[in-house]
Amino acid sequence: MSCVHCGEDCGKHPVMWEDKPFCCNGCSTVYQILNENKLQKYYDIQPMSGIKVEQADVGNKYSYIDNKEIQDQLLDFSDGGISKVTLFIPSIHCASCIWLLENLYIMHKGIIASSVNFPKKTVNITFNDNIVTLRQVVELLVSIHYIPEITLDHLEKKESGKSEKSLLLKIGISGFSFMNVMLYNFPEYLPGGDELSSMFTRFFGIMSFILALPVVIYCAKDYYLSAFKGLKHKMINIDVPITLGIITLFIQSSYEVITGDGIGYMDSLIGLIFFLLIGKWYQGKTYSALSFERDYKSYFPVAVTKINDGKEETVPLSELRVPDRILIRNQEIIPADSILITGEANIDYSFVTGESIPVTKKSGDNIFAGGRQMGSSIEIEVVKEVEQSYLTQLWNQENKKDNKVQLNTLINKVSEYFTVIILLIALVSAVYWMFNDPKLALFAFTSVLIIACPCALALTVPFTFGSTMRQFGRKGFYIKNTDVIENLRGINSIIFDKTGTITINSTMKAQFIGKELDDEQLSIVKSLASNSSHPLSATVKDSIKNRNTFIVENYREFPSLGISGVVNGKRVNMGSCKFVTGKDDPNPESTNVYVFIDDKVHGYFKIENSYRPGLKSVINKLKKVYQLFLLSGDNQAEKKNLSPLFGSESNLLFNQSPADKMKFVEERKKKGEKVLMIGDGLNDAGALIESDVGLTIADDIYSFSPACDGIIESSRFKQLPEFIRFTNTSILIVIISFIISFLYNFVGLYFAVQGNLSPIIAAILMPISSVSVVAFATFSINYLAGRLIPDF
Amino acid sequence: MSVIIILVIVGIVVASLFLIGFIWAVKSGQYEDMYSPSVRILFDDYKESANNDDGDMLADNNIPENKYKNDKISNQ
Amino acid sequence: MELQKFTYDNKLTNYFIWATVGWGLVGMLVGLTLALELIFPNLSGEISWLVFSRIRPVHTNAAIFAFVGNGFFAAIYYSMPRLLKTPMYSKALGNIHFWGWQLIIVLAALTYPFGFTQSKEYAELIWPIDVLVVVIWVVFGLNMFITIINRRVKHIYVAIWFYIATWVTIAVLYIVNNLALPVTLTLSYPIYAGIQDALVQWWYGHNAVAFFLTTPILGMMYYFIPKAANRPIYSYKLSIIHFWALIFLYIWAGPHHLLYSALPDWAQALGVVFSVMLIAPSWGGMINGLLTLRGAWDKVREDPVLKMFVVGVTAYGMATFEGPMLSLKTVNALSHFTDWTIAHVHIGTLGWNSMMNFGMIYWLVPKLFKTKLYSAKLANAHFWIATLGMLFFSIPLYFAGFTQALMWKEFTAEGFLAYPNFLETVTQILPMYYLRAFGGTLYVIGAVLFIYNVWKTAAQGSFVRYENDEAAAKAPAKPKESFHRRLEGRPLQFTVFALVAILIGGLVEIIPMYLVKSNIPTIAAVKPYTPLELEGRDVYIAEGCYLCHSQMIRPFRNETERYGEYTKAGETVYDHPFLFGSKRTGPDLARAGVKSLPNYKPDSWHFNHMINPQKVSPESIMPAYPWLADNEIDLSVTPDKIKAMRTLGVPYAEGFEDIAVDDLKAQYAEIAKGLRSSGIEVGDNKEIVALIAYLQRLGTDVYNNK
Repeated sequence: MSCVHCGEDCGKHPVMWEDKPFCCNGCSTVYQILNENKLQKYYDIQPMSGIKVEQADVGNKYSYIDNKEIQDQLLDFSDGGISKVTLFIPSIHCASCIWLLENLYIMHKGIIASSVNFPKKTVNITFNDNIVTLRQVVELLVSIHYIPEITLDHLEKKESGKSEKSLLLKIGISGFSFMNVMLYNFPEYLPGGDELSSMFTRFFGIMSFILALPVVIYCAKDYYLSAFKGLKHKMINIDVPITLGIITLFIQSSYEVITGDGIGYMDSLIGLIFFLLIGKWYQGKTYSALSFERDYKSYFPVAVTKINDGKEETVPLSELRVPDRILIRNQEIIPADSILITGEANIDYSFVTGESIPVTKKSGDNIFAGGRQMGSSIEIEVVKEVEQSYLTQLWNQENKKDNKVQLNTLINKVSEYFTVIILLIALVSAVYWMFNDPKLALFAFTSVLIIACPCALALTVPFTFGSTMRQFGRKGFYIKNTDVIENLRGINSIIFDKTGTITINSTMKAQFIGKELDDEQLSIVKSLASNSSHPLSATVKDSIKNRNTFIVENYREFPSLGISGVVNGKRVNMGSCKFVTGKDDPNPESTNVYVFIDDKVHGYFKIENSYRPGLKSVINKLKKVYQLFLLSGDNQAEKKNLSPLFGSESNLLFNQSPADKMKFVEERKKKGEKVLMIGDGLNDAGALIESDVGLTIADDIYSFSPACDGIIESSRFKQLPEFIRFTNTSILIVIISFIISFLYNFVGLYFAVQGNLSPIIAAILMPISSVSVVAFATFSINYLAGRLIPDF
Repeated sequence: MSVIIILVIVGIVVASLFLIGFIWAVKSGQYEDMYSPSVRILFDDYKESANNDDGDMLADNNIPENKYKNDKISNQ
Repeated sequence: MELQKFTYDNKLTNYFIWATVGWGLVGMLVGLTLALELIFPNLSGEISWLVFSRIRPVHTNAAIFAFVGNGFFAAIYYSMPRLLKTPMYSKALGNIHFWGWQLIIVLAALTYPFGFTQSKEYAELIWPIDVLVVVIWVVFGLNMFITIINRRVKHIYVAIWFYIATWVTIAVLYIVNNLALPVTLTLSYPIYAGIQDALVQWWYGHNAVAFFLTTPILGMMYYFIPKAANRPIYSYKLSIIHFWALIFLYIWAGPHHLLYSALPDWAQALGVVFSVMLIAPSWGGMINGLLTLRGAWDKVREDPVLKMFVVGVTAYGMATFEGPMLSLKTVNALSHFTDWTIAHVHIGTLGWNSMMNFGMIYWLVPKLFKTKLYSAKLANAHFWIATLGMLFFSIPLYFAGFTQALMWKEFTAEGFLAYPNFLETVTQILPMYYLRAFGGTLYVIGAVLFIYNVWKTAAQGSFVRYENDEAAAKAPAKPKESFHRRLEGRPLQFTVFALVAILIGGLVEIIPMYLVKSNIPTIAAVKPYTPLELEGRDVYIAEGCYLCHSQMIRPFRNETERYGEYTKAGETVYDHPFLFGSKRTGPDLARAGVKSLPNYKPDSWHFNHMINPQKVSPESIMPAYPWLADNEIDLSVTPDKIKAMRTLGVPYAEGFEDIAVDDLKAQYAEIAKGLRSSGIEVGDNKEIVALIAYLQRLGTDVYNNK
């Protein structure tokens, strides 16, 4: 049966409360809290909408929020006892979450009001800071399993959304003018248009001129700026012909309206700008809750507990100085390079350097920043400043090379030829008409520019890539912007990181090698292993399924060696080969846990990474087309498993430091290859930025992943080849749409060159060409995505 | 037929009034979140029926039973 | 910024609900009597204030302004405070608005049956009541806008945008259409004339439908369907897009009522294009409404409220598709002036407006009276009766409309009209009128069930006048520097605004200059009406003859064969107000006075026909107007009428108003002598003679044979 709170399976013996089943204590405590506050409607809006969180005890995890300085950075507004804070809560996902988070004031008198912004997954809470402190607000949220994500880069508020508003505004204004001017220009085209007296023509002309002004001046501003910037770099991007088209259209129409001998092309002009702006909006889709520009700041904690002469006090990270002594608790991240003073340090570097197995350190050893302490809390002394630590130092180097030069994308290349050809045609027709009928010369020149304006061309890319991006998003592959699609198409070699990317680092596999253990021996091993918090013993314990455990007497732990105890009257030792057998380990490259029961060594558990399902099929598919490489910070333990997969030995490199990975990518790029790097940890950050396309694989897309161009949900890893191949199809569709828009241009030029491009032809041709190209691009992408990327 | 001019002028004046309304709406951030308003209007049902401390609000359990016993009560 | 507690006052919502229910029944009963009067012409007997042509405006105004109006006022007074978490700004303004609106309805019900009307459809109110309407509308607007300004919730839900749009557009429409020069307390002449008056009227007419019968009800839909179905609206983004698309594009509504009339071709074509473009925003609303219920169809099956809403929204979709189809010129050539238009109107009103009102009240009354709906079975019964009623009303009228149009247009092989006598079509469609009356009866029975059910619900519950709520106070407004100072900060926008302001200012000066010299090609032969004919025209308006008789011959062979030369724009240049009419229950009278045309009838025929139409043509369904032979013309007002007409641009000679009464008497004596020679005795200054003078003058100028 499923848990009332979060809907997960409760297993055989669920936690019962008032005869309602819960999968864990956490869920039942939340249910009780909501019950007390009469908020059980939470489960009516959307049943089983709760979120499951393992350890609910907060302890003083949020003590750092009491620090005044951090509070000032976190709070948006605070004076006269009222303060406002905006917290990012990734686990907001449904109407019940909105309802509960907006009824916080029922749960605590201090909270005045709270409102949720659903797409950004933020909640804006206003509270009375004499009654409730910010920390209590955060702890209230955590108590109902809505855990806010507070990291360093959240402190420096980035005001996004400005551009979103101005684009929406431009679309609104141009839409308004387009609809109205279209109606002013219709009488000319409609039956009976000839008997339109001159008074009306002038009147409609003036009105369309007035309405065109704000559009041409304000709404099309971005195109002029980007064209001007392009020309400054002596590069004709797509915005140059657009600006040319707009300017000519506007001057030609204003001339006709003012001299009163025509109605002008105002409706085509505003329609062009309106469609272009919609294209820009469609292409500019962003995932407001995801962020692709994370750096180490959003990974490290906001504050640390410093120990000066025995007293613990929380200190913001920025105030950490060399020889400070700090306390690191279980699952906390080490903020700076330091030396271990006391405590048993098991550092999990999988996310930082790629080593899949946690490393045990003795006091006096050196510890790198970024590792995560597993097990009991330790005391360390800072050796280097946070910014200078080995890892972040690596980070600062890359920032110089971070702004990739604006790739000369396909569309800009096409627009260069396009502009040159069009200007040529315009000149030729002007010169031709100069001899035959001078009056027509200027008109022919302008009408060539008008009709050939690349409206359809300029809409192809935004709508094709826009829909590709949306289709990818729907299938679990979130990319930063549409340029990624083009870069992804051009790659020819792929580099994989091992830990966390092709392996699932949270669960490891343990395989027993040696004489088969009987049931009693298995449960003995399990009971001893379950006493130690060392990750390796946890893996061994999990690998022994449904065995009950016995009680263990005089259990002793030897740091970085092993554990021993007496179970069922039998002496049991488990640990490294040296500890258990006294001899060196016969096969050093793999990690083994030897088992000694009663009187002899029965064998050893071989610890291996468990690979992502479907890895084999992905590698085989990619191997045919691209050159594959594996760079791992881990030891060679997995070489035997991986080499059959990757084929040639040469491509597998181990013990790669983050700097080595980056240098490797640079070498490949110097050889002129286009590199795709797929990684997940901090150690891949440098390589991800350096490579042409950097993708990260994330189990939870809202958790930290280094700066990259795209995030793939781990469940969608199997479809990586299809995603990459689909970029070819979308480029193909762009090319087909180009051809369609060229056809329209030829038809238009046929009229323009003869100098009889009447407003009605422009008014018909321009919308039809744009709409047909847009429709073609969008529908074909949606259709092909459905077929080519099956979501099984 | 010059009344058409009046109608067009009146029409465009009213339409630009609404355009200014649109500009104000976008600027004042009415369209930042396009999902929660549609859900938020359903919430006050719950508050009303959640009998909070001053108790005089419409609580689920104190709606009087329908005196005229007939078919299944429909829409509550 | 602290948490504030406040209470909503449901009193006005309750008042408006019962006003809706009451006036709804009145409007439907009057509608039913009209339907019966079309079958039994002398149902109203000699009573002048019950005759079909006088009480038809009572039906339309009661249905639109009383039933739908009060309905969405109830919706606004209930939904707006809850959406903005702020009670309505002032109870006093609310009361003035409520009682003022009911007063207007009562005044309308008292003036129309006694002949005080302006003849412009859905704007028939005489000018003093117009002023009252504007005052009450401003009171309502004040109350609404101040509540919005003081709102606690920052976001303005889309329903409220619809209410705002309704208020602004109706205010502008009503004022522009009712610009008239008062002559006496109960009489005024619009400043526009002929085809221009027609265009302004139908610009108002279409948009009264669009912004009184659609946008507020869409606002209601966006609030009440999510509430009743307990599910968020299908796509909030779509509702925003379709709202702004509807509002930005609001100029060219109207000409599709005047297709093939004297309106210039390009204006007609633009009207058609605009109406077809209106499908997009309207269907955006329908899709949003219906798709909100996807997945809840099982609930819809047995919940009468949702059933009402579903049929309402579907009818809205049908009507807003049928409308653009009707405005295509080819379809309009067939459907204009026939019963098809009436069927289209009633799909919209019986389907969309009434069902949404019923649904809202079925949902709201139980909530307001803290009880369950008295009987769901009864509500379901009402639903089925109402739907059947609507179908029985509209489908027969579709047949009637097709039959009329085809019979009017049919030619024999030799090229003569197959049915030259107009009565043949009238008698042919009488059975459909019976069915329509039956449909109407069904609908009224449904309404009675509705009232009984809602009344019982209220009786068994206890009215909840105050409902508490709490929300954070309004965010303190940032000290905003004045709009002008901020604008100076942005040179670019400032120049654009300045430019726009100057140009619009300039245009507003130029326009009056154009307006005076209205450039409709005046026809030399067309002369203003004589005083007697002018009095006769006012009788024609007072009795409401324009409701069944059109005065607009369209350029089709069958119409020119039947009625004579088609109406030119120049002929109606002195008609304040225009009398094109929008329905041909009776034949077109544009050329009634031309002796050489088949439809010409001598004075005596008109006299006898007016007193007792069935005596003259037995199958006729025209009611009798015997009182015309008794009522007298108020000669004291005639000079003022002439003066008023002159100020409106009608070229009466200087000082003509002094001799106007003598001219009237002379013409009167002449007609009376003619009547006496054919054995009809008539007193002096009788309305019937003035009416005959007017009828005999219609359309003669162009044929220049008196």
